[in-house]
Amino acid sequence: MNLEEEGYEIILKNVTYKYPGSDKPALKNIDLKVRKGEILLITGPTGAGKTTLCNLINGLIPHFYGGSLEGDIIVHGINTKNSYVGYLSTIVGLLFQDPSSQLVTASVEDEIAFGLENLGLKIDEINERIDWALDFVGLKEYKQHPPYALSGGQQQACALASILAMKPLIYVLDEPTSNLDPIGSLNVFKLLRKISLEERKTILIVEHKLEELIDLVDRVIVMNEGKIIMEGNPREILGEEAEFLNKIGLEAPQIALFAHEAKKLGINLPSIPLTIDEGYECFSNIFENIKGKINIPQEKIHQFEKVGKEAIIQVKDVWFQYPSGTIALKGVTTNFYKGEFVAIIGQNGSGKTTLAKNINGLLRPTKGEVIVYNMNTKMVPIHKIISYVGYVFQNPDHQLFSRRVYDEIAFGPKNIGLSKEEIDKRVIEVSKMLNIENLLEEKPYELSKGHRQRIAIASILSMMPEVLIIDEPTTGQDPRGKREVMNIFKKLHSLGKTIIVITHDMNIVAEYAQRCIVMNEGEILIDGSTKEVFMREDILKKAHLKPPIITQLFKKLSSNYNIKPDVLTVEEAINVLKSIFKVE
Amino acid sequence: MALEYIPGKSIFHKLDPRTKMIFFLFILIILLAVEDTIIVALILLSIFGLYKLAGIPMKKLTGIVKPILPAFILFILLNYFVSPPRGAKIYFYLVPGMAPVTLETTLIGITSALRFILFICITRFITLVTPIADLLIAISKMGAPPEFAVALGIAFASVPVLINQFQTVIEAQKSRGAKIEQKNPIKKFFALVPVIVPSIFLTVLRGMDISRAIESKAFTYNPAKRTYRKTISMKKIDYAFIALIAIITIIISILRWGFNFFRYDSTLKFLIDIMKIVFKLT
Repeated sequence: MNLEEEGYEIILKNVTYKYPGSDKPALKNIDLKVRKGEILLITGPTGAGKTTLCNLINGLIPHFYGGSLEGDIIVHGINTKNSYVGYLSTIVGLLFQDPSSQLVTASVEDEIAFGLENLGLKIDEINERIDWALDFVGLKEYKQHPPYALSGGQQQACALASILAMKPLIYVLDEPTSNLDPIGSLNVFKLLRKISLEERKTILIVEHKLEELIDLVDRVIVMNEGKIIMEGNPREILGEEAEFLNKIGLEAPQIALFAHEAKKLGINLPSIPLTIDEGYECFSNIFENIKGKINIPQEKIHQFEKVGKEAIIQVKDVWFQYPSGTIALKGVTTNFYKGEFVAIIGQNGSGKTTLAKNINGLLRPTKGEVIVYNMNTKMVPIHKIISYVGYVFQNPDHQLFSRRVYDEIAFGPKNIGLSKEEIDKRVIEVSKMLNIENLLEEKPYELSKGHRQRIAIASILSMMPEVLIIDEPTTGQDPRGKREVMNIFKKLHSLGKTIIVITHDMNIVAEYAQRCIVMNEGEILIDGSTKEVFMREDILKKAHLKPPIITQLFKKLSSNYNIKPDVLTVEEAINVLKSIFKVE
Repeated sequence: MALEYIPGKSIFHKLDPRTKMIFFLFILIILLAVEDTIIVALILLSIFGLYKLAGIPMKKLTGIVKPILPAFILFILLNYFVSPPRGAKIYFYLVPGMAPVTLETTLIGITSALRFILFICITRFITLVTPIADLLIAISKMGAPPEFAVALGIAFASVPVLINQFQTVIEAQKSRGAKIEQKNPIKKFFALVPVIVPSIFLTVLRGMDISRAIESKAFTYNPAKRTYRKTISMKKIDYAFIALIAIITIIISILRWGFNFFRYDSTLKFLIDIMKIVFKLT
């Protein structure tokens, strides 16, 4: 190692990589150096090469994936080309994106032990480390639980603990919070801070949730199309370049975006604020100067109004118990009205999905009843209900099986016994609606994840249900992908469909849903207009949720200044600002 | 679940898994040796006794035995077709001209059916009182490569995951109107295609995920020096137990092959004696 390379834990020298069977490089001429003890945030849209970069560090590329690799990767002084994954993984702890895919044993403690056993540690030491790691992530009581029975958040904590226990020198974490609700994500970030402070480890973290990471990371790199397009300290990139990040499809900090827009309105800001506290300080200074001049009539918080009068689905005191004994719903009563856009939110295990499955007849209430278009779900078979209520499952891979996209979309209509002409008409109509009409002859398995999701939606839409239930449509997608899929539902909503979406993405709820049902432990905590619900931080907290940052900022500002608190999006925030300064 | 473990503090829970495997082998030898229907029935009863001793609820036992009762009857019936009519008296034919029913073939049928039940009960008994992890350690201690034991362990741990996944696929297809519950076997096969294809696809994906995950947790670092956190050790009680079951097996084998004990004939003789007594009384 020469002098200038000293002190660096990871060095990438002009790395270009192609996956086997692909002509397009996934990474192009990457140069990167990471210091010991540094926390580096890697962000960028889907397909930017972030995961590929992660797989380079512990040698999965090229040793596991193959493909053609140019350039050198030096990790802790070792050229990965001359080593092997088994050895490199004692230095680099890699946390994969999907937690359930990396849990392989029969209990949480076995999961933590697995890596330690491979390291050949003494049994006492292994047991000590298991307790330490589980304590660290707060899973102590779950030691004996099988990993698959944990919630998504707990699985992610378990996977993280299994890496922690191996005490690697370098952590590479690929979207460690993708399955977590807002408060769960915050806990993971706190945990990372603890590791970096207490253990001085080098951490690479791939994330889309930029807001929460501002004060955690030392440096940010932004990737796009296989290249590093930006590099710098987090305040500079997340603050100054917020608009650029937004443009390439990332979720820039809302407060920074808001500040940039404010600047455009001619408002003088000393610097770009990033956090709620900074935002509050910055804008309260401005409002202080014009206090008394703020004169917008205070509207009452937007109350929940039925969009349509007609209650098409009635849920009456529904209880549901799974054969395992878990009581997932405890007396849920609510109505769904024609033409609504409803979000059902809540933690993993709060009963969201169980409620949704009771609505389309996949599950039937243990007690109480569900009336769908005047049909009691207990009395009619499911294939009668599905032409009224369609259910789009989270993972398209759970349902695609045909050799042709056309057959996939035609499967549902065939099952409900439509004529050939009618099926043909519907397939074409639906595929046009979703912009996949040119893919009808393709093989579903060969298409991208985004396209497969569209096909899955189309295969439900082709049965022409009035109501569409969508389960976690945005999980595992970058902010642009999220908006793309949500815009499909927005379009369907404008065409008159009733949309019920299950999600834990609060920004999505704020932007799209008119009404919001918050669930916790099998009960409805609050049911009202999205504005109404997001004003109740106390109730949301019970369900481990938090309103968007911009909403939190406005709520804080409104307690001192005469402005409206129920602001859900940056766009709305700007409008408030505009109306204030028009008055001035 | 097929491989459930019921925790407990009985002697069988405390035995080393290797002891239990040896016990299993000896029982197999005894089963081979003993043809006498009554003795086989007695052995079966004593296996039921073991369930009681190990504190396994009777409900569990009936849950194991009940589903195999049809097989029990099938064993007896099929036996008439395959074993030649031994013994002079043919009572009747099961099918005209075929499958003669004699006292001897009936006994042979009952014995093999009892053996079948015994085999199932003893296998389930051992898995009920031994955690799978322990069995895997026993396998690797007995000389299997470490990769083998780990692979088996991961396979067992994957079963509930795959069942969950299978159920999700069924739900997803039901939501598209797939009629999965079909009575006609050919229709049923075609109805299952939409369930089987995604399941296979997802299972292959999971296989790749698993291999990537274990590689990244240093599995290939130094497999020969891998630690097994859970250890097993043979104690005095293990040796005593093995000695006991070995002695019983040897005695039975000597009696069987040296002195022609435990043959069908002996049951037959016993039954004839009883009948004589009954007839004399009347």
